[in-house]
Order: sequence, then structure tokens, then C-alpha cells
Amino acid sequence: MPFYNLIIRDLKLAFFSSTNFLFAASFLILILILVPFVFGTNVGSFSILFTGFIWISIALSILLTLDRVFNSDYEDGNLDTIILTQQSLELIVCSKFISHWIANCIPIIIVIPIAGLLFEVGIQDILNIILNVSLGSPGMVFIGSAISALTLGSKRAGIYKTIIIVPLYIPFIIFGSNQESGLVLLGLSMTAFVFSLFTSIYSLRLYAE
Amino acid sequence: MHLKLPNKIIDSLRRMLPAFIVATIVTFTVGIYYAILNSPPDYLQGDSMRIMYVHVPAAWLALSSYSFLALSCIAWFIFRNPIFNLFAKSIAPIGATFTLIALVTGSIWGKPTWGTWWAWDARLTSMLILFFLYIAYIMTWQTITNKDLAAKISAALGIIGFINIPIIKFSVDWWNTLHQPATISKLSAPSIHISMLTPLMLMTFAYVLFLITLFLIRYKIEILDQKILRVSS
Repeated sequence: MPFYNLIIRDLKLAFFSSTNFLFAASFLILILILVPFVFGTNVGSFSILFTGFIWISIALSILLTLDRVFNSDYEDGNLDTIILTQQSLELIVCSKFISHWIANCIPIIIVIPIAGLLFEVGIQDILNIILNVSLGSPGMVFIGSAISALTLGSKRAGIYKTIIIVPLYIPFIIFGSNQESGLVLLGLSMTAFVFSLFTSIYSLRLYAE
Repeated sequence: MHLKLPNKIIDSLRRMLPAFIVATIVTFTVGIYYAILNSPPDYLQGDSMRIMYVHVPAAWLALSSYSFLALSCIAWFIFRNPIFNLFAKSIAPIGATFTLIALVTGSIWGKPTWGTWWAWDARLTSMLILFFLYIAYIMTWQTITNKDLAAKISAALGIIGFINIPIIKFSVDWWNTLHQPATISKLSAPSIHISMLTPLMLMTFAYVLFLITLFLIRYKIEILDQKILRVSS
């Protein structure tokens, strides 16, 4: 089953590369470490800001690791080989989405309760945040991967990619920081999936020519 | 890339441009005269309301420029004629400038009216996003050196960004914002007095002429660019 093989290959790559599973989790904690230095050490007032910082660090960690989805394979030529396997592009793109979400967002979701302990956030709030993050972060991964597929051909695409992706993340951030909007996030993620699938396939066809 | 008879297009553009420039200057003079001297001040906001005559047309044209850009991108996908890409490429910097004008004048207007330079409400934020979408479109042509690839990618980007336009348009109806809802678009009876509507319409007309003039100049430049590229390659 090439679909699962591809997922397992990407997960192995993510695990053994220099920016592995630990990256996303430690990135979240590092961003949160900066917060007390900005707002003082009165921990009680952080619980309001906590959701916002979680979402900002998720957005940043997805943006920073986007190079792993298509770019690294594109640069060393593996992407051509994967496309040449005659597997349908839809499955290839889906497996890339899934492996990237597992490698980057699951560690964040695991770390959220620990981070919540550091900031004295209540259990109910933490559960809500985890629900929102697990429904919303797939959509962010989809959009980021699609745009990075679209901009494969540009050299030094960092800032350029950020300018396109961040406006598209705004709906996720808006509804994510609202406690009772899990279903909206699910809808957003599904919409993002359809749009990203088409965009990624379109751009992979462009570069595979 | 082939253009259908680019020399003829450039010739007709040369003939049309002076007329448009003169018309722009005349309508701007008349419009500014009406806007500053020959219209009543608002009973609530006083004379600071007059910035509306600069702000509103710029915002309208920022939106319609992006719609034009997205439509040309769609047309490029259908007909694969490079002319549509040149349309989109020529309108993008102009639209970005109009967006910036709308944002800056809106900010200046907001200070005396709302008491703040900037508020994070839906209309303002989505306008700011529109500005970044324009920047992203312009950057596509600069960061991607392969022109054929840049054409395809920028067309896709222009269409993706179009989802922002209805959000801007209906943001004042969907969310409860600081920005006032539309007063002109109610076709039957606009809720603005005729003495203010006249200068607004004049200024809008002047802005449209200004946009067309700039567009023609930029379009001419783009065609000349293509010719240079073809000669040098």
C-alpha cells in the first residue's frame, strides 16, 4: 500500500531529521516562556491570554516547518520519483497532509495540558482548547501545505509564503480563541481540505511537467 | 508569449492617453471644488466628514480592482491568452495603492470621529488583508523568475484571494462593527442627501478616470516589457 508507505516514510524522516517531533512541542513551550517576561510574573492573569498564545505558537510552528512538506522532497528530487509511481496525486497529497499533521500538531496537543499547568488554567478550559486545536489545526496544515506547494518554484520563499498564508489563517485564529466554536472550526478545516487538495494537485502537476 | 498585434494596441493607447489625462484633471478639479467648497458640512461630524469624498471612492475602487484582477485570472485560466495576465499584472499595484489610500484616509477620519486611529473591526482588518493580498500577487512576479511558471501561480493566487472580497463587502452586515454600513448601495433610496451625493459621485467619476489612466499607462509598459523580453531572449 503506497499510501501508508508514504506516510510511514515521512514520519520516519520527521523523526530522524534535525527538526524532529521534539521541535513543535519545545517551540510551544519556548514561546510560552517568553510570556512572563513580557507581562510580569502574576500567573493568574495569563489564563485569559493562554488560548491566544497557544494559537499563535501553533501558527508559527506550522509556518516554520512547512519546508518539510514538499520543499525538501522537491529539492532532492524525491518528489519526481513519488509522482512517477503513478499513484494518484490525491492520495500523495493526502498522505503528505496526514504525516505533517501527525509530526507537528500531535506533539503540540500532547504538550498543551502541561503548558496549561504552568499557567494555572482550569481543566475544563484545557479540554476546550485541546478540542478546538485538534479540530482547527488540520485546516491550518492543509492551507500551509497547499501554499507551499504553490510556491515551490520561488527561491527564498520564506517571507513571500508568510504573506500569503497568514491572512488565510485569520479565520482559524478568530474561531479558535472562541471557546464554543468547535463545529465552525471543523467546517473551516473541511473547506480548507477541499481547497488545499485542488491547489496542491494543480501546483504538483505544474512542477512535475 | 504572443500578443495579438501589440503595435496596434500601443498606437491606440498613445492616442487615448492624453484625452484620459485631461479628463481626469478636469473632473478632479470640479469634484474637489464641490467637495470642499460647494457642499454642506455634516451636522454631527462637521468638516471632518469631507474626507469621505477621498476615502469612499478609493475603497470602492480598491475592491473593484481586485475583482477585475480575479476576473482576469479566471479568464486567463479559460482562454490562456497572455493578455489577461498583463491585465492582472497592470492593475495590481494600482489596486494596492488605492487600498493604501483608503486605509490611510480612513485612519485619519477615524481619529476625530471614533477617537482612535485604528480599530480591529472586521471592515478595517479585511481591508488590511486585501492590501497584503495585493502585495502577495505583486511579489509572485518578482520572486519566481520563470515567467511561464509565475503566470500560472499568480493566476491561482489571484483567484484564491478573491474569497476576501465578499468578506469585505458584507463584513459590516455580518458583524456588529464600528464601521458604518453602506449608505449608497441601496439603489432605491440612498440614505445620503443629494447635496453630498453630487460631490461624492463626481469624485468617484474622477477616481475611475484616474484608475483608467494609470491602468493604460501600466498596460503600455507591460506590453513594452514583453517586447523587450522577446527581443532579448
